Amino acid sequence: MVLRNRGKTIPPYFLVPALLAGAGVLLPLLYLLLRALEADPQTLTELVLRERNLHLLGNTLLLTLGVMTGTTLLALPLAWLTTRSDLRGKRLLALLLILPLAIPGYVGAFALLGASGPNGLIHALTGINWPRPSGYWGALGVLVLFTYPYLFLNLRAALLGLDPSLEEAARSLGYRRLEVFLKVVLPQLRPALYAGWLLVGLHVLGDFGVVSLMRFETFSYAIYLQYTASFDRIYAAWLSLMLLVLTVGLLTTEARLLRGLSFSRVGLGSARRQQAVPLGLWRWPALGLVAFTLGAALVVPFSTILYWVLRWPGDYNRGLDGIVQSFLHSAQASAPAAIVAALLALPLAYLGVRFPSALSRTLERTAYLGYAVPPLAFALALIFFSLRGVPFLYQTLVLLVLAYSLHFLAEAIGPIRSALYQASPRLEEAARSLGYSPLGAFMRTSLPLIQRGVLASMALVFLSSIKELPLTFLLAPVGFDTLATRIWGYTSEAMFAEAAPYALLIAFFSALFVGLLLTQERKS
Amino acid sequence: MKKAFSVLLALTLALGVAQAQPSLTLYTGRSQALVDKLVQQFQKDTGIKVNVRYGRDAEILAALQEEGSRSPADVFWANTSGALEEAVKRNLLIQLPASLTRQPQEFVPSNGRWVPVSVRFRVAAYNPAKVKDSDFPASVMDLPKVAKFKGRIGWTPTYSSFQDFITAMRVVKGEAATKAWLQAMIAAGAKAYPSNPPMLEAMQAGEIDVALTNHYYIQRILAGVEEGEYEGKEESEEEEKKELAAKEAKAGVATHYFAPGDVGGLALVTGAGILASSKNGANATRFLNYLLSKKAQPYFVDEVREYPVIAGVSVAKGMLPFSNAIRLSPKIDFAKLTDLEGTLKLLREVGLL
Repeated sequence: MVLRNRGKTIPPYFLVPALLAGAGVLLPLLYLLLRALEADPQTLTELVLRERNLHLLGNTLLLTLGVMTGTTLLALPLAWLTTRSDLRGKRLLALLLILPLAIPGYVGAFALLGASGPNGLIHALTGINWPRPSGYWGALGVLVLFTYPYLFLNLRAALLGLDPSLEEAARSLGYRRLEVFLKVVLPQLRPALYAGWLLVGLHVLGDFGVVSLMRFETFSYAIYLQYTASFDRIYAAWLSLMLLVLTVGLLTTEARLLRGLSFSRVGLGSARRQQAVPLGLWRWPALGLVAFTLGAALVVPFSTILYWVLRWPGDYNRGLDGIVQSFLHSAQASAPAAIVAALLALPLAYLGVRFPSALSRTLERTAYLGYAVPPLAFALALIFFSLRGVPFLYQTLVLLVLAYSLHFLAEAIGPIRSALYQASPRLEEAARSLGYSPLGAFMRTSLPLIQRGVLASMALVFLSSIKELPLTFLLAPVGFDTLATRIWGYTSEAMFAEAAPYALLIAFFSALFVGLLLTQERKS
Repeated sequence: MKKAFSVLLALTLALGVAQAQPSLTLYTGRSQALVDKLVQQFQKDTGIKVNVRYGRDAEILAALQEEGSRSPADVFWANTSGALEEAVKRNLLIQLPASLTRQPQEFVPSNGRWVPVSVRFRVAAYNPAKVKDSDFPASVMDLPKVAKFKGRIGWTPTYSSFQDFITAMRVVKGEAATKAWLQAMIAAGAKAYPSNPPMLEAMQAGEIDVALTNHYYIQRILAGVEEGEYEGKEESEEEEKKELAAKEAKAGVATHYFAPGDVGGLALVTGAGILASSKNGANATRFLNYLLSKKAQPYFVDEVREYPVIAGVSVAKGMLPFSNAIRLSPKIDFAKLTDLEGTLKLLREVGLL
């Protein structure tokens, strides 16, 4: 199987895995179409084509744009500070700044609600009656705090991979630092910005937990209600397909913006190390921003949880016996999923960057469609197809790992793609001319260069998998409880103190895993 | 990669072989906090291994439908009668033997395809610092007319128990009166919450003063408040009342019961049935028998503050005796509470869904 594109041949060992990954992600779409076809036209108009859905779509778009703006304002300076400035402990700060991603959205929202108001922790500690977040601004604030790491991770990987010689050239031409950033650095960050925005946007489109607690109604809220309140799969499939149309809109926009980008080095020799920029007096506002972010997204939620434990001590002799087991389960499922997702994302991103064509673009975009399918629908699709195709895999860990990696594949593509844009294809061509096979050339030249991107991908997929609920509920082996299902089980019964140790463990474990990945970064 | 895969596969197969002991697969929409303890006890008592799949009712039901006859599940234990009736409609549950259906005191559905396992009641929660018990009207139907409550009431329109309550209201008061009530509540500025715990938390935080909820959410909050000095002593009824009021004041949550027979005090049940796809009927029956036994029923009181369905199980302090609570609820056949579709349609019409 050899496809030619602008005179370049796509090697089959990139094409075949890419096709397989694409097909895996397409299954849920096929399932949604199958279900949607069962609809009866009259009920369809009543449920799907009503004015209220338009109103919800409007709400959803407003929120998505708002969160994209908010996360950029937070993530861009933070990413720059933790890579290019002379702040101390940048690696530790980066690790901490990624961690809010480990907190399930609904837990974070609940904790922030618990921290505010006259009964809250903030009032108890400081006497200030901090207003309870709610509505559009509440949803916006909470979502920004718990999704900015998507953008942060992407930007960080991109900033670390930039060749400083361009900036030095600009400086030597008399540009001031800020001008250099705006004219030289920012344009080069475009792939990372787009990838991060896409993830943030898709996350907001699909979020139910946070918006419902903030009492702000969006489109995914309508889908969730259709599944849960009506026990219905057919009209929920229609609504999900409508959400996918919105996603396709986002994807086309991104694809148009990405067209023709190339940021690889053209110079000779290896890039020099980047020089840390002295902050001077800017150190203080910079630290203020870091402190504000960590305070709002990490310290407040966790202190609230601890505060609950102290105020209503739980009955731990019953709550803790399963904690080790659920911890092991979380690890068993999330860590392999991170690896598999990165492996699947590699050929997809590689084709997209090195062999840009209609086919490679479509394959890459497919992954994002899979991400935009509501997880409940995704899980139902895998039940449907696995029982018909591979019944021996049903309710096994293998299927759960596959489900995680396929659903979160989109998160893995971005960082790898950004890194590939920075790795020069000339190196591979040189390796080819020395007699290496295309695969061998890739392994020896590009792979070491994009290692950072691969690690960021794994971190993202891991953090998403470990807090995932619907896929875990429906596809895990029977009796396989994870930290996230435990937290949900307790919080839904208002047993916050009992849920606390699990929430702390999820954060601790995530910190450990992401920390491990960041130390690998140093070696590269 | 390939290697890791085959290792995983081998492990899974090995796990499958290891399960030779008698076993049972339970799908439940109830929370692990409650189910786990009961299942452990059942395993210890019978030697039957129970594999549990947790989820929310809707997810479990959707999974059961996708699995169809290939489902490994034996028992479906749901959080709401609505989910069970939906399962009946889709022919997922088998007819239960009379030895099971005659055990509960009340609430056995006429189709006999599931048994009630525990009972909960609709009530109003209020913040005793802001509202007095005497501020409430006799019927929930008049709640939106209370001027003092304007903009201070919370409800959960998307939550299953609330929707069952609306279905019951349609049966008791009729379609038109129900619609008028919903519109009056909206006009009175009722605030919608996704579920009960965040609604009560919002009440404690002063966002609202009154909340339409289920009784056990309040009981659980009160159970978490430390006992006063009276603990352990024989108490007179008067002292018990005082202690309850002190607890309620401390927690910022108290219970209002509407007048006997009012739809605001509706009884709702959780229940379980045996799946048509089960090849394990004997063990499944044994498990349902266990849920209804004197050994298991006290768990519902102790762990989640629900009421038992069999006679002779005592309830926790602060809960109304079952005979009193049941008098508060209107008498409705659960087979009539199945028109969820109609309720959802009404909620959509008034713009709540």
